[in-house]
Amino acid sequence: MESLVALNRSEPDVCTSPSTNASIWQDILAQALTGELMAAMNYTAISTICDEPEEVAEALEHAEGEQGHAAAFAAEGLKIGVNVPSNVNAKYWKRIREAFIRCIAERDFIACLIVQEIMLESFAVASYTRVGKAGPGSLGKTFAAIAAEEEEHIEHALEILRAERAKDPQRFDEKVYGLHLDVMTTLTEMVAKECRHGQCDLCHSSCVKPSLSEVGLTTVELRGASLQQYLKTLDMLGLPGEVTLQWVTQLPV
Amino acid sequence: MARGSGCAGRSARSRARARLPDDEIKEIFPWIPPRAVCHVEVASVTGAKARGLYIDCFIPPDRLGGSYIHDNIARVRAAAAYAIKAGAKIVSLGGFSSILIEGNFDQLPDRHDTVFTTGNALTVGFIVQGIRKMCALESRDICRSTLLIIGATGDVGSGCARCLAPLVKRVMLNARNAERLHILSAELAAAGADVQISTHPERFPFQADIVICAASLTSPSLLLSGIAPEAIICDAGYPKNLSPDRHIPYARIFFGGLGQITGGLSFAPDLSGVLNQHPFPDVAHGCLLEGMALALERRFEPFSQGRGFITPERVEAIETIAARHGIHLSPLHKAAVPLERTFVLSEPHVATR
Repeated sequence: MESLVALNRSEPDVCTSPSTNASIWQDILAQALTGELMAAMNYTAISTICDEPEEVAEALEHAEGEQGHAAAFAAEGLKIGVNVPSNVNAKYWKRIREAFIRCIAERDFIACLIVQEIMLESFAVASYTRVGKAGPGSLGKTFAAIAAEEEEHIEHALEILRAERAKDPQRFDEKVYGLHLDVMTTLTEMVAKECRHGQCDLCHSSCVKPSLSEVGLTTVELRGASLQQYLKTLDMLGLPGEVTLQWVTQLPV
Repeated sequence: MARGSGCAGRSARSRARARLPDDEIKEIFPWIPPRAVCHVEVASVTGAKARGLYIDCFIPPDRLGGSYIHDNIARVRAAAAYAIKAGAKIVSLGGFSSILIEGNFDQLPDRHDTVFTTGNALTVGFIVQGIRKMCALESRDICRSTLLIIGATGDVGSGCARCLAPLVKRVMLNARNAERLHILSAELAAAGADVQISTHPERFPFQADIVICAASLTSPSLLLSGIAPEAIICDAGYPKNLSPDRHIPYARIFFGGLGQITGGLSFAPDLSGVLNQHPFPDVAHGCLLEGMALALERRFEPFSQGRGFITPERVEAIETIAARHGIHLSPLHKAAVPLERTFVLSEPHVATR
């Protein structure tokens, strides 16, 4: 968890990205940085509803790890000469945060894990992996390394969630579906081809989506890879594939 | 049952929301991991029932080519793993999946108690039955016919050759692999057949009266030439072989290798409109029906294993099993157009259910 904290170095490496694309990477990094900060907030919140001291410690450790990821993304911005903004109150992120806070309010540890580990982390792993391949130099490496670390989160959470599902599969699946409607709708809107309901509050000028191809990315690829990862994660949880397929095909495009 | 490609995602969405435009379906489709799209229940005329899953590999139609072969094999493997995890006792690989694996069942994951069949023996059975039926409907004497098989050395093509060579006057075999053509030709000739071979179908010295198209093509691109104007043509390819640009006005063309389940076939959720795009109810490809017939018979064995070992005896054996459970040749049709209404108005099951 802590390995990437070390990436938050005071002396940035040599600039590895052409300045013409720096503004695009700035917007991409802003989304990633905000997502990591929100994850840190979510884990901190989870620590408040844990019963066992080890669970509290683990949640706080996760929170620290996510802060490290956020710092690493900020550092990558500095390397290419941009300050990476963050805004956990940006339109989509705020909606996701609100859904998560409802789970905390209900002290529903399992729901929190589903939102953070299954939904948010699926999107993080898939999109970071893609950005990792497209990103130049250390920026790409950082995304790839963080994707690998986030994947470990999912593995760990799956054990807990599989055990929970085994107790009452139908009830568990209904809970996942409710959260899916709440959270996944917002997440897929974030990676839809265009922001139909106005700006996301994170892009520094106009929407970055039409410019993604300039750095070797597309919303189609990011959305497709993210939904694929999400479906695979639900498969690993044991949810019926024909059911989750229907869920996903009802999401906004 | 695993098929090479499909569009179940389209259907699932259409029930909940407005139909997605084709370009958006095309964008989403390749990202969907292989998975079940619906539950299947098949009923035998004996009263027996078998339940299963329809598992789609989600291989987009424009990615069937050789450059995607590794990705597509990985998808078939993932679909097979899905079936194994679901506890399937028997899996029919389906048309394109069979072609990809083509007898190399060792490419599939560890199988535990799950057996796989390509389903090709019953496909061959239905192709042969279809040819014979069309000949009868058209008052053609099959014994005086010259048969051309495109894709003759494949599992289905070679099976058809073995079944039909003893019945026709002459067999012309076409395939890309000359060595395999020679081997099959020698086998058929040893059994007394008059056999011609060529890697170029337009170079045969005789016009074909009957044509079976069973080639592994990535799209309907076959431009037939050198055939009799009123030839009977069975397009048994998956994907279909015949190019829609090839207009053969007097030929009798039908889609072969399809069967119909008298006892009924149901899907949950109901994807019948997507999975059965034929003009008759409860119609499916012979390869899928073979798995269903074996499941109804409680014979969980890898009946068809690819690599060109389909013999008339094996075909007869699976036809007998299928018939016992009310699985018969589908009424003849081409795409959405029934062909039998024109010919056999008195046949009770044609387009009346």
